[in-house]
Amino acid sequence: MSKPLEFKNRRDFLKKLGTASAATLAMGAPRSFGDEIEQPEAKADCCILLWMGGGMAAPDTFDPKHYEPFRKGLKVSDVGSTFPAIPTSVSGINFTEGFEEVAKVMDRGTLIRSAVQPDLGHILHSRHQYHWHTGYVPPQTVAAPHIGAWMAKVLGQRNEAMPAFIDIGQRLEGVGEKEELKAFHTGGFFGSEFGPFLLPYPDQAIGAVQPPKGMTPSRFANRYKLYKKLISEGLVGKSGSEFQQESMLQSMEKAHRLLNSREAAAFDLTKENEKSAGKYGKTRFGQGCLLARRLVESGARFIEVTTEYQPFKHWDTHEKGHTTLKRLKSEIDQPIAQLIRDLEERGMLDRTLVVIASEFSRDMMIEGVPGSNARDQTTHKVDVISELKHYGQHRHFTGGTSVLMFGGGVKKGFQYGKTANERPFVAVENPLAVEDLHATIFQAMGISPKTSFDIEGRPFYATKDGIGKPAMEIFS
Amino acid sequence: MRDRKTMILKTQIAFLIAVTSLAPAKVDFAHEVLPILKENCAKCHTNGKYKGGLSLDTRETLLDSETVEPGDSQNSLFIQVLTAQDEDERMPHDADPLPTDSIATLAKWVNEGLAWEKGFTFKKKTWKAPLGHQKVDLPGPEGGNPIDRIAAVYFQKNRVQPPASISDARFLRRVSLDLVGLLPLQSELEKFVTSDLGEKREAKIKQILSRDLDYADHWMTFWNDLLRNDYAGTGFIDGGRRQITGWLYLSLKENKPYDQFVRELLNPTAESEGFIKGIKWRGNVNASQVPEIQFAQNVSQIFFGENMKCASCHDSFINDWKLEDAYGMAAIIAGKPLEMYRCDKPTGEKMDAKFLFHELGPIDKTSSRDDRLKRVAELATTEGNGRLARTIVNRLWARLMGRGLVEPVDMMSNRPWSEDMLDYLAWDFAKNGYNLKRTLSIIVSSRTYQSATVIASKSGEGFVFEGPSAKRMTAEQFIDAVWGITKTAPGKIDAKVERKSEKARVVRASLVKSTLLMRALGRPNREQVVTTRPADLTTLQALELNNGREFVNYLNRGATKLVDEKERVETLYLEALSRLPSSLEKQVAREILGARVTPESAADFLWAILMLPEFQFIN
Repeated sequence: MSKPLEFKNRRDFLKKLGTASAATLAMGAPRSFGDEIEQPEAKADCCILLWMGGGMAAPDTFDPKHYEPFRKGLKVSDVGSTFPAIPTSVSGINFTEGFEEVAKVMDRGTLIRSAVQPDLGHILHSRHQYHWHTGYVPPQTVAAPHIGAWMAKVLGQRNEAMPAFIDIGQRLEGVGEKEELKAFHTGGFFGSEFGPFLLPYPDQAIGAVQPPKGMTPSRFANRYKLYKKLISEGLVGKSGSEFQQESMLQSMEKAHRLLNSREAAAFDLTKENEKSAGKYGKTRFGQGCLLARRLVESGARFIEVTTEYQPFKHWDTHEKGHTTLKRLKSEIDQPIAQLIRDLEERGMLDRTLVVIASEFSRDMMIEGVPGSNARDQTTHKVDVISELKHYGQHRHFTGGTSVLMFGGGVKKGFQYGKTANERPFVAVENPLAVEDLHATIFQAMGISPKTSFDIEGRPFYATKDGIGKPAMEIFS
Repeated sequence: MRDRKTMILKTQIAFLIAVTSLAPAKVDFAHEVLPILKENCAKCHTNGKYKGGLSLDTRETLLDSETVEPGDSQNSLFIQVLTAQDEDERMPHDADPLPTDSIATLAKWVNEGLAWEKGFTFKKKTWKAPLGHQKVDLPGPEGGNPIDRIAAVYFQKNRVQPPASISDARFLRRVSLDLVGLLPLQSELEKFVTSDLGEKREAKIKQILSRDLDYADHWMTFWNDLLRNDYAGTGFIDGGRRQITGWLYLSLKENKPYDQFVRELLNPTAESEGFIKGIKWRGNVNASQVPEIQFAQNVSQIFFGENMKCASCHDSFINDWKLEDAYGMAAIIAGKPLEMYRCDKPTGEKMDAKFLFHELGPIDKTSSRDDRLKRVAELATTEGNGRLARTIVNRLWARLMGRGLVEPVDMMSNRPWSEDMLDYLAWDFAKNGYNLKRTLSIIVSSRTYQSATVIASKSGEGFVFEGPSAKRMTAEQFIDAVWGITKTAPGKIDAKVERKSEKARVVRASLVKSTLLMRALGRPNREQVVTTRPADLTTLQALELNNGREFVNYLNRGATKLVDEKERVETLYLEALSRLPSSLEKQVAREILGARVTPESAADFLWAILMLPEFQFIN
């Protein structure tokens, strides 16, 4: 496998980009008010976001509270967690039952327990997911880019034959709220060049970088060769804008480079030896983690792997929270831990930032934050639990959310922030707003939260109004 | 006593600076410094008035004054005078001293190096876009196309060699794609090229524009982008958004006079009210994005080419619009005075309804919401409002010529490269019943339009018009062309529109919900107003065109038909490129097709033709 291409510095990168696609620069280079901004030194070259779409309940995952096992007649208000706490490899940090494998690698990562989200009134996953992924609360006057698009735009490709921004596991067709999902799975005002390369099914990913079904590689190569010959015999240069035509041909060339590259093999999960593949399990998320590891090895810049957001499925528990999470945790525990181990084994963890996050947390009692006017959306509004389906975190909670990070210069075995021991489980130490969490991620990647682009004459920042502040304490 | 006061004041400021400097956030010029300068200093020290020789117009002029030492507020006269005890010395003159927190902000700003919003200047532009219509005396000779008459003088003055004219075939391909979004049929092309009728181009233009349904099909793309109408998208899920599809299609089909079209959008019927309703999200929304403000922003941008997005949050620093202008527009639809929010914080001030060009007339603040909407529809389309016509004719020009008379097309306060051209076309448009097809016809009838595309040698502010520029096909034009060539158009449309004899009509991309392929090719999510689409083919798009399932499927289905075609190379060149292949091209085509044409080789040939820049660009 060819070595991922690292640019020595940003100017070098811009030069490369300039030759590749001058038009993409037309929008303006990063700039800020007054003096040039200083970009922090990058701790990581790439970022993997493991997205727990639907609202991952902190009390039932990484932030155990008072546990009460299920029983009829249990008062909802008496329950903090529906899973008992388990120890991790770091003393003083406990997870909940079902995360035994991730618990073993906690000594490689930092656990943030104090992420918070704004009170937007009525809680919609789509708005909070848009906010989390772009840094801006919708609606917006311009199409805000996904953070993956920011990384693709500001940092560029690591490897010219590998799309910079890859999105694994989320379908944008045939699922609920698909229009809302499309709204932030986008390069936004950066244009589609920086948008996500979508791979909804990891085991079919290879199809996206292969000649079309039924076409042999030799026919595919021949078709392109003759196409180029046809162009040289045609009217190129004789009419129209040479610049536009040239940029079009360059994009064709880049696409073909990917389709013919050795890197394309990274998309093929059947190429992974059975033993190591087996460690990721057979679920779509597990396969997604494996694919992410292979793509990072081959030079992807930003990869999101999701458990897939679907309204009322997976993490989006409006009822049956406990049983759903039991299943979900069993599907993701092993692959997450394996991803960390594999990256570490390959000496890549230090330069890869892995982030496990969700749009907000959940609670047994409180919708939004205490005092919010958000409407209670749980399916069964009971005070006393009489059936198993009542047992779980069925309200959306924005006052204290866990985010787990590995690699990319973050401290090992460290906890940042905490939530109250008694309900409401709000962040009581180092609350970290979305823009600050983003600033932290960007910091690791070497992007200032004040990085801005001129959009319609206005500056548009990597974090809302440029105000995001990284939690520097989490870096070693 | 005096000194002591000064001491205390200075200590307070020092303390404030110390406290604020604990917070690592730097002072924000646009949001924190600029309002102070505007309110207290601008009157005497900017835009032509430079009392004491101090100009705050730009960072440079401020530095030139030598009153500021970046990084050292204590040794900056600019800051010292703010706390001077002597009233003659203290700034601002004849006014109360600045509040201490304002002084602290300015001092911090100086200490941090005097950051400035790039490009911002207090100096007003010397050129001001006129609001009313301007009379243009067409230069000689009588009878010619007015655009050519104005262009002739322009070319001469700017020493530009007028661009070469184009062949009939090229003209037909261009005008057909531009007016109805379709490639000319082979039979149509042959008939047109071989016809020796005089004025045949004029006749053709007339005939194309009379194809009402094709015209409406095509322009739905443009107007859906502009009015952010779509058949699926955010907001529909919970009734926070409504389509105007039926109304829009009918309006285009009938070539509804544009002034009436605008009135029906601003003062709507049930069919067109989706536009002013905007997109409503459940939950709390930032004050600058509530539906009332969306109305202010969208109406200003779409119909008048004014950017009200900055002013929705604070007085703009990229144009002259103020917070109260945005809220004045918003209050029209709110139906009551609106409390103004600056940067999402309430100001306590209320704003009454006010049209953005308030010189055109007032809006009775005691009138009902319905009456206000009626009134705003009047003001928008009143004779004295030349901006309405200028904005739309400029958009049409940009679509047809590849670049606007004014750029960007949403900044109509910028100077056009030819005021005469813009003023004439706008005046002609308004005088002749706001007839969109008439203006389109004038443009495409001009020799200027019927010229070879050029690459402008100067872009940006010094732009000189040298001829039309090539345009990339929109996603819809591309897909319509592919469907036409491969005979793969889907069976039905998604748009709820009245098309007579629906069964016989071909399905157009503009009338179906967006697909992965369309999105990849640049059809936008219509959450925001879109007035220009990206011109470049990106790598991800190229990938989609190489192995995307949807596109490959069209190719394969088209190929089986191509196998049976006799003159397949000539036919495809004529259909796709409106020309015959050269002998060298024929040779390569034979190489691709092979000795015995198979569905595979035909698909490859089809692919190669559809991927030619010559195919994907309208030039």
